[in-house]
Amino acid sequence: MDVDSRALVGYDDDEPSAFASMLGGLIEANVRSHPEKERDFESLKARVGIWVTDIDEGVTLDFKGGKLVVHNGLKPRRTLTIRTDADTVMSLSNLKIGLFGLPVYYDEVGRGVAFKLLQGKLRIEGLLPNVMTLNTVTRIFSVQ
Amino acid sequence: MAVKAFSNEWAKAFKDELNKSATYKTAGKGWKWTVGLVVEAEPDKHFPEAKGIVLDLFDGEARDVTVGPASEAQKSDFVITAPYSRWKEVATKQLDATKGMLQGKLKLKGDLPTIVRYTKASQEMTECTTRIPVEWPDEK
Repeated sequence: MDVDSRALVGYDDDEPSAFASMLGGLIEANVRSHPEKERDFESLKARVGIWVTDIDEGVTLDFKGGKLVVHNGLKPRRTLTIRTDADTVMSLSNLKIGLFGLPVYYDEVGRGVAFKLLQGKLRIEGLLPNVMTLNTVTRIFSVQ
Repeated sequence: MAVKAFSNEWAKAFKDELNKSATYKTAGKGWKWTVGLVVEAEPDKHFPEAKGIVLDLFDGEARDVTVGPASEAQKSDFVITAPYSRWKEVATKQLDATKGMLQGKLKLKGDLPTIVRYTKASQEMTECTTRIPVEWPDEK
């Protein structure tokens, strides 16, 4: 079944948080409108936590190879966990994707994200063994 | 001089602030959709009726900002809805609009990837509201 005719995103909670709905909606819209993101979405199997430090809220994105289940809050057994502030979450979704499908860290938005990483204001747990997964998630997440 | 919150004078001041902003002019390049701000009534705060603000924004310019019924604003391409006191928090810098949207304090309707792509323009729009001296009905 192609992405046009099936549900791509489900929510584990009866009342998904605003943040969960926003991320789920964003990813669904991205995947439906970009074939290259659809390929990544179909292949990705990972549990990604995102914790927004300045609103004390987070979600777990459970990518199941063609289906995403969004949970309110951080759930166990996460492949990656991103902890940062709301502005940086927005910047992450504005990272451009460059050569070989890699996020661009040398333009204004990319430099801002890299600087937050260096300052410790963007923390990514589980990064080293999962760099490729992070790149795939970034490609799916990016609106650029 | 202070203008009444969400009045025609406020709308004119908001439009002027947007068009004065070099940041908005750059960040809003390519934007071509209408934005509706719905301000829900809070009678206990002396804001008895909902109002709608329609922003006709195009390519980094505010072509028009009008105040009317909430139903008009709801027809816009993007609609942000919140009670009066939340909008007051945004305009007085007590609530960051990005955080407000992530927390569901400001409810957004419209194409999410587009609004996220224009995060910087949205943030500058919020900044513009904070530069307008406002007479708040619940502070009289």
